[in-house]
Formats: sequence, C-alpha cells, structure tokens
Amino acid sequence: MSESMRTTPEVERLHSELSAVWGNPRGWRGVFSVVNHSTLGLRFMATGLVFFLLGGVLAMLIRTQLALPDQDFMPPEIYAQVTTMHGTVMMFLFAIPMLEGLAIYLIPKMIGARDLVCPRLTAFGYWCYLFGGIILFASLLLEMAPDSGWFMYTPLSSSEFAPGPGSDFWLLGITFVEISALSAGVELTVSILRTRAPGMALHRMPLFAWYILAMSLMIVVGFPPLILGSVLLELERAAGMPFFTVAGGGDPILWQHLFWLFGHPEVYIIFLPAAGIVSTLVPVFAGRPIIGYGWVVSAIVITGFISFGLWVHHMFTVGIPQLAQAFFSAASMLVAVPTAIQVFVWLATLWLGRPRMSLPMLWITGFLVIFVCGGLTGVMLALVPFNWQVHDTHFVVAHMHYVLVGGMFFPLLAGAYYWLPLVTGRMPSERLGRLGFWLTFLGFNLTFLIMHWTGLLGMPRRIYTYDSAMGWDLYNLISSIGGFMMAAGIAAVLVDLVVHGRYGRRAPHNPWGADTLEWSLAMPPPNYNFASLPRVESRHPLWENPTLGDEIARGEHARPGAAHGRRELLGSEALTGRVREVIHLPGNSLLPLFAALCLAVVCVGLLMRIYPLSLVGLAGAGVLLLRWSWENGGHSRAAPLGHNDPEDPPLHSRTADGPGRWTMGVALLADGAFFLALLFGWFYLWTVSPQWQMPDQSPLSLPLLLASGAALTLGTLWLERRVAALRRGHEAGLTLVLSAIAALGGLHVALLVAALLAAGLEPTATAHDATLLVGLAYLLVHGGLAAILIALQACRAGLGLVGARLPFEPGVVALLWRYQLGVFWILSAAIALLPRLTGAGS
Amino acid sequence: MPALLILVLITALAGCSGSHSILDPAGPAARDVAWLWWAMLIGFGLVFLVVVALWLAAFRPRDRAERSPGQPDTYDVERRQGLRWILGGGILLPGVTILVLLAFGVPAGQRLMPLPLPGGETPRVIEVTGHQWWWEVRYPDGAGEVVTANHLVMPAGEPVDFHVTGADVIHAFWVPRLGGKIDMIPGRINRIRLQADRPGVFGAQCAEYCGVQHAHMQLHLEAVPPEDFGAWLAARRDAEPESPALDDQHASARDSFTANCASCHRVAGLSEGEIGPDLSDIGARATLGAGTLAMEEGAIARWLAEHQHLKPGNRMPAHDHLALEDLEALGAWLETLRP
Repeated sequence: MSESMRTTPEVERLHSELSAVWGNPRGWRGVFSVVNHSTLGLRFMATGLVFFLLGGVLAMLIRTQLALPDQDFMPPEIYAQVTTMHGTVMMFLFAIPMLEGLAIYLIPKMIGARDLVCPRLTAFGYWCYLFGGIILFASLLLEMAPDSGWFMYTPLSSSEFAPGPGSDFWLLGITFVEISALSAGVELTVSILRTRAPGMALHRMPLFAWYILAMSLMIVVGFPPLILGSVLLELERAAGMPFFTVAGGGDPILWQHLFWLFGHPEVYIIFLPAAGIVSTLVPVFAGRPIIGYGWVVSAIVITGFISFGLWVHHMFTVGIPQLAQAFFSAASMLVAVPTAIQVFVWLATLWLGRPRMSLPMLWITGFLVIFVCGGLTGVMLALVPFNWQVHDTHFVVAHMHYVLVGGMFFPLLAGAYYWLPLVTGRMPSERLGRLGFWLTFLGFNLTFLIMHWTGLLGMPRRIYTYDSAMGWDLYNLISSIGGFMMAAGIAAVLVDLVVHGRYGRRAPHNPWGADTLEWSLAMPPPNYNFASLPRVESRHPLWENPTLGDEIARGEHARPGAAHGRRELLGSEALTGRVREVIHLPGNSLLPLFAALCLAVVCVGLLMRIYPLSLVGLAGAGVLLLRWSWENGGHSRAAPLGHNDPEDPPLHSRTADGPGRWTMGVALLADGAFFLALLFGWFYLWTVSPQWQMPDQSPLSLPLLLASGAALTLGTLWLERRVAALRRGHEAGLTLVLSAIAALGGLHVALLVAALLAAGLEPTATAHDATLLVGLAYLLVHGGLAAILIALQACRAGLGLVGARLPFEPGVVALLWRYQLGVFWILSAAIALLPRLTGAGS
Repeated sequence: MPALLILVLITALAGCSGSHSILDPAGPAARDVAWLWWAMLIGFGLVFLVVVALWLAAFRPRDRAERSPGQPDTYDVERRQGLRWILGGGILLPGVTILVLLAFGVPAGQRLMPLPLPGGETPRVIEVTGHQWWWEVRYPDGAGEVVTANHLVMPAGEPVDFHVTGADVIHAFWVPRLGGKIDMIPGRINRIRLQADRPGVFGAQCAEYCGVQHAHMQLHLEAVPPEDFGAWLAARRDAEPESPALDDQHASARDSFTANCASCHRVAGLSEGEIGPDLSDIGARATLGAGTLAMEEGAIARWLAEHQHLKPGNRMPAHDHLALEDLEALGAWLETLRP
C-alpha cells in the first residue's frame, strides 16, 4: 500500500521529513550508534538465533554421548561443561533475549508508538547482551566453561570444588546479560503504560501487550534475586566471604532459594510472551475476536503473582518442613488454573469462529499438543511423593523440554511465520514450512516422550554415561535419533527463513487479515513506524477500519511530520490512554555502546583477577552513564526545541511527571526486589543457617548510623519540598538549595563510611560480617549515587537546564532519595537494631 | 503413528523392571508412588486426549449458515457459550483434578516422613554420608565400629530411618525401588524412612549432580532378613581385626598398603584413614569405584592400575610410582578382606 500512497508531494515531504529525523545513520557509525527499536529488536532476535543454534549443537553433542551405553565420545569433564552450557545458553542467551527482542520490535508498533520510551537503553541492553553472551560462550572455546550444572548449586560451584574460572564466567556473564534483561523489562513496562495510542485505554490494549507487560514486570521483580545471588557467590569465590559455606555461618541452601526465586518466575517469563503469541494468532486465524478477553487478562495477572509463590517446588528434596511442602505443592498445582483458562479460551475462540490451519496455526497446534502434555506432567511433579521419586531424573528433563520447547519454541516459530511478512514484505514457503514443522514436531516427541520413560526407569539427569545392564539403551537411542530428526526440521525452517527473504512471493497488505496496529504499517515498516499517530478506540482497529493504514501514511492523524526536528511520540495516561504530553526522544548515540564496553572491561578484569582494570572499567561506565543522563531534558542534543503550538500537549520535559519518572519508578522496583532478596538472605542465614554466628554485641555503631540517617532524612525532606515548590513555579535559589542537599547526601555517605570503618568487620571470617558489609555497601552505592545526581542537578539548574520551565528532572532524582530513605531505615533496623532487641548473640 | 506408539508402549511395559525402576516397587513408599503414577497417567492421558481432540475438531469443515451475523442475540449466545467453555475447562477441570490429586497424594507422602511409628517404637537408624564420589555408611547399632562403603546392608520387612548428610558438596540418596530421594547437604542431617518388603538387592544412585563422576556414584543396597542383619552386624562388630601375624603370604602387600594407602583408607585394626572409603570388607563388595567395575578376581588390581581411566577425575591419586606386580599383590590381599 505504502508505495502507492506516497503519491502526493505533501505525503512525500512528510515521509522524507520523518526519515531525516528518525533514520539510522549509515556506515559503521550506524552499526554502533543505532537506537531504533525495530533495528535493535531484530538484532536481539538474530543474536538469539545464533545462540540458539550454538545451544542446539551442544544438545546434539549430549544426545550423541548418551545414544549408546558406555560411550567414549566426550570425556566427563567436557560433558559437564557441555550440559551446563546447553542449559545456560538456551535459557539466558536464547529464550529470554529472543522474546525480549520480539517485544522490543513489536510493542511500539502494536500500541501505536514510534519507538520505545528509552531508546538509548534499548541499545545499551543489546550491547550488554551481546558482550555478556560472547564472554560466556568464549569460556567453552577456552575449555574453561562452567561445569556445575546450569543452576550452579553451591558448594559444587564454590572455589573449593570448582577452582577454575568456569563459575566466574557464569556468574559474571549471566549478570551482564541480566542487566540487558532488566533494561528491556523497565522500558517495556513504561512504554506499554505510558506511550499507547490516544484512546487505547488498558482494556483496549492488544492481549500481546498485556502479556509483555506481565513479562516485563516479572523480569523487573524476578531477576534481581539471581543478580544478588551471583554477586554473593562471586564475592565468596573471589574474596572468600562465606555466604554459602557452612563453616563460616553460611548456608548452601541460600543459593538454591535465591536461584529459584528467580528461576521459577523465569519459566513464566518465557511462557507468558509465547502464550501472548498464541492469544494474538488464535483470534486472527479463527476470524473473530477472542472469547473472554477479561478472563485472559486475569489469567495473566494471576499467573504472574502465583509464579513467585512456588519456587520451592524445585527444592522438595532439600528437606524443608512438611507444611511448607504442602503449601508449595498446592500453589504449584494452582498455577494450572490460569493456564487451563487460557487453553479453554483458545478452544472456545476456535469453536465459535471459522479457523484456518495456515502454517502459523500449524505451529500453534504443535504448541498445544506438546504444552498440554508438559503442563500435565507439571501437575504430576507438583505432587510431593511423586516428585521425590522423579526429581533429578530424565522424567524432569523430559517435562522441562515439553514445557519450554512446547511452551516457548513452537509459539515462537508460529510468531516468526506470522510476522515475517511484516519484517521482510515476503511470504515464507508453505511447503518447506510444513516439512520443517513435521520433522521438528515428530523429532521432538520421539526424543522427549520416550525420555519420560527413561526417567521412570531410574536414569538420573546429568550422568555422562550409563551401563548397559540398566536397561536404558533402547530408549536413549530412540531419544538420540529423535533429537537429530528435530535438528533436521529446524534446519528446514532455517532454510525457509533465509530463502524466503529473496525468493518468497511479495506479501499482500495485512496478509492474515489481522486486527492489530502493526499490520497498518508499510511492510517492512519505516523507522518511525507511524507517519501520523492514530486514535484507537477499539480492540480491533484494523477490523473496524481496514483503511487505517492509508490514513496513517497520508498523515491524517496526530503529530504528522517532523519539521521541528524532534523524535516525537505521544505520552498517554496509564489507565485511560488520554494524551498527556508529547514525549521527545533522544537520537542515535554511541554512549550505550561505550558504557557497555566499559562493563565488559569490568567483567574481563574480574575474570582475570586484575581488579584495578575492573575499577577503571567501572569508573568509565559511571562517567559515561552520567554523561548519558546529562544529554536529557532541556539539553540541546536531547531536544531541539523548535516550535510548539500553544494548544499542543506540552513537551514532557516541561511537565513534572513525564515517562522518566516512571522509568525511575520501575527501575527502583527492580532495585527494591534486589533489596528484599538481600533482606531475605540476612534473615534466612540468621534463622536457618546451621552454624550462624551472631556476635554478642552488634559491631555497628548506633550513633553513627543515626547521624547518617538524620542527614539523609533531612536532605530527602528538603528535596521533596523544593521539588513541590519548583512545580508551583518557584525557582529562586534552586542551584544553592540543590547544592546544599547534595552536601547533606555527602554527609550521609561520609557518616556511613565512618560507621563501616568503626565496625571493624571481618567479612572473610563469618557470613554475619560479610552480610553486613554487603548491606552497608548497598547503602553506600545508593547514597553516593543520590548525592552525585543531585549535585549534577545543581549544575544543570545553574546552566538553566533545570528550572521553573523545565521542572522535570529534580522530581526524578527525588524518587531515588525517597527510596534510599526507605531502604536505609529498614536495613538499619534489620542489621543494627533487631539483633540488639532480640539479644540474638547471647 | 498409533501402531508405533502401541509398539513403544508394549516394549516399555515389558521393560518396567530394572534395578533402578520406579515402576518395579519393592517397598510400601515406592508402591504408593507407582500407583499414583499409573492413576495419573490414565487420568491425565484422558484429559490430554480430550483437549487435543477438541482442538482438532474445531478445524473440521463446518456449515455456519445458521449463525448469520445479523441475529440480534448472537453476542449473548456466544458470551454464554464462551463462559461455559471457560468455567468448565478452565476452572472446574483443573479444580477437581487438583482436589483428587491432593486427596490421594498427601497421605502417600506421609509414608516417607520419619514420623513416630504407631506402636511407639523407633525404627533402626542407618547413617549415610555422600562423598565425591562414594558412599559412607555407618550403623549406629554396631557401636560405631561397623562402617561400609558403597555397600549398604539393611533389614528387610521393617522400616529403616536413613539419616543422610554430605561431606563435601550436595548429593542425594535415592533407592528408586524403595521410595523417594532426599538431598545430602553439608552441615545438615536429613531423614527419610524406607522399607524393603522382601530381602533382595536394590540399586541406589546419587541423584543430585555432584561433579564429573556423578554418574559413577552408585550404592549397592542389600536387604536381608532381620535376623541375618543382626547376625551380620554382630559379626562385623566382633570381627577380629586384621592381624599382621595371621598369614605371611600377603605380608608385603600389607606393608605396601600401610605405606601407600593407610593415610586415606581405613582397614579395621590396621589403619584409620578417613579420606577415602573404608576397605575393611572390600573383598565382600559387589562393585568397585561405587559401581564403576563389577567385583571379580583381579578386579581390584585392575582398578588400582586403571582407576583414573575407568573413573576419570576421581579423588584417588594415580599409582604410577608402584609397579604393576605390586598393585596385583595389593589387590590380591585386599580381596581377602571379607570379615
């Protein structure tokens, strides 16, 4: 459509204007400085595909080793690395980044936005993912890959039993990749809540956006516990702090709690977006709206909440109290309810519609068969006595692949075939696609259906060899043959994907007759997605108005063109979708790349134990990130001001509650999850650890802590008052006041340092001291950051970048101060006051 | 495809047995779980078939002329139909399933709990410690003297409480034909109650990944009649310590043991090493290297010479400094240790 629509000179001008502002730079600079969500979403997915293929090769190696009894194909130490890396790569480097990439690519197009709300963060997330993935995978090529299993149980992963750098590669690489996941989680949340098309109230939002919103919030809350666990384990390995060592008062089970606190939500972080694909495709191919939109939304929300309440079902054999087991067992079964609701919503939609078995629908059908089976074995596993038998056997391996491959990979491929015409403008081949599907589907079931049986016959997971007398030969051979068949199927799919871009027939506009906004765009969509921003007052905008795409391209809707030179999109109210402001986005930038490179230097320095190098990297990253935050708001590089009609919505930097405040809020949610995990660790070690040593007298000086807290409290209250005054338009003396508040922040930090020094902690001797050190360090980092940011605000006020006309930024920083105030007093109470009150040491 | 499935199923059913098979239970706890499995397989199998059939049936060619979009009540009719689907399949089906499961499953779990027995008596206790990559078994009734390694003897026909822990990393104690598994965690003692209905030999295996030789961490578990167990325990407790004076044929091998092996291995009456497995009864074991090698004449010598090849990465240093004939003599002497 788009080619024919751009006939009039006016439309031409509109698009060349937008292209000039939104375009990706050409050449090498373009490769490194792009911040556009379409480009980066595709990069995420392409990189994820590469890691998927690498992880798949590892799977083939495993199946070769296990095909016959007493195989000598791989020595055991290599096998251990291969299995560990297969799980790690598939989970962290394929599944999550792939789905994030899909969401990054699709979400703005689906909700009527031109980009995500923090474009530089998208780029930063991509670079972190790429560098973290390369560092992690490099370990395998160096033959020093982690080998303690993908969930890295301590003490097997501790320095005593894993002395090489393998575990360090895992901990650092995964943390690096998780920074990327968190970046995506934060900005997807804010984008979905604050940049929907005018009129797109929450209850009109496409279901896919609901799923991605849930996924993003779950990433935000679910990943920090593992980051904390990784930090603690790395501190134990590198500095000897005994968090997980019984002799020092630590507990190896703490790692399992932190890992599965993340690990179980992670399963739903992977499943929900995939289910979102299903809920998007089923109505399109049934030719009718979904039955029970509200039910699906409730199911998503309930799944999100329940998924944080069943991590212990991975630990039923750890020897936890019976009551806890019953609770987690029931909760694990309960999660079947929202899942069943979704399955029957899909069934009802198909029955009440006129479904077509097109290629994407075929993959969805494969998903249903496999996933229902995996879900049912999941309910079996939730039953504690059965779990005690099959836990850590191949039954669990089979179940997990049914859930993950069925629940994620099959819908992903359905989505790939469905959205491919949008990305490339061409249709994939039906015949090759069907061949690929059947090979994959049959190969998968051959591999893993029989593997349930192997597990019931007692084959434990992660053994590198087995004796013929066990009677597992035949089943393993069948599994291996199936595995290679599945590989052939995936190869066929890949050939299809690669070939179609060149030889596929041109896709007609909206080839599947879909209802959502992304199909109103040109195929492939331009960098700015929408030439003008449509109003959306229906769940099915394209079914209501099939010519919407033409109207958008002709610039008949809001904010057409970009004569002002800004990258603009509309900010809307979270609930109603009413327009609140015009958001202006920063353009292409090299800062994200350089900041991620600095973090890579930190990683490499830690891996090679050259700590000064890490410090240099850290300082570099800090400076670059601050520079990044400097080019914001009223800064000339962030927003050429141009003309803004008085009747237009205000620019967000001229308001007090723009998306930046929301981004800070969601980021602090992640930070809060990290903090809660830390508190959990403290109380867990205190109450459960077998050899916990609480000193008779708390080493922390109460007067120093109180003084430090007083400075912080004073600073926060003052800042809040000043921000409120700024919103009312009082800007006199702003620089001075902000400087004074920054000085209070500095005093807070200095007193905290004094308390730390006075405590004379011995973090390598006891887990108690080590935990105190980490807690205080956490406060110091946040206190320091709060002080620096407000000092920068003082400078910006002095330069006229912050003031009554630009009141936006101090309110953002004030959130951090408020947060620090909360965590400071909570943590002080937990580590300094409570032990005194309970007389715990005596 | 169905024919293939049936074929697979038949072969599979024929293959229910096996030394590690959950589906060939030999004790009350394992039997409960096996029944649970078959019941769940049938029930869930039906659910699975119905859901898949409903899905495929939705794609059948249909004549939908009777539902023209103009009909005013269509929306309400659809709403009601949709609600029926969701309430029936999404709420009722999983709800009932979960209730039934918990009703049968929770009592089954009780049997593995070390709860007081109805008569007030306490079951016999056997302590098992997991090491990388072998098992240490202690019998408190044996006055602390009776220790076996990679070989566990228990009375049949009565419940036994196993108190387990890990010496280095986390292992898991699992006798599939008797019942569930429990983790062996450094710094903690976990308890599990198992019972073997009849005397017999059962495979046991470390179930928690514990390092490169996790595969070769098997335990040979032998259930014997209770009276035989008492006799065995008494005999082991009162066994004459290995005496240097007993015979001269193996004197040099014994000296070689004292010089090279005694700091790690215990042989009752001769050495007190605690780093490696207790060898007091090694001649009577069924396997070597925790299931790596079957015991037969000359097997110990072969193990001594090739153990880093047979079980790469195991914690025993290679014996390159000893001549092959010395190792053979050592093996021959060790084979005589069967108290």
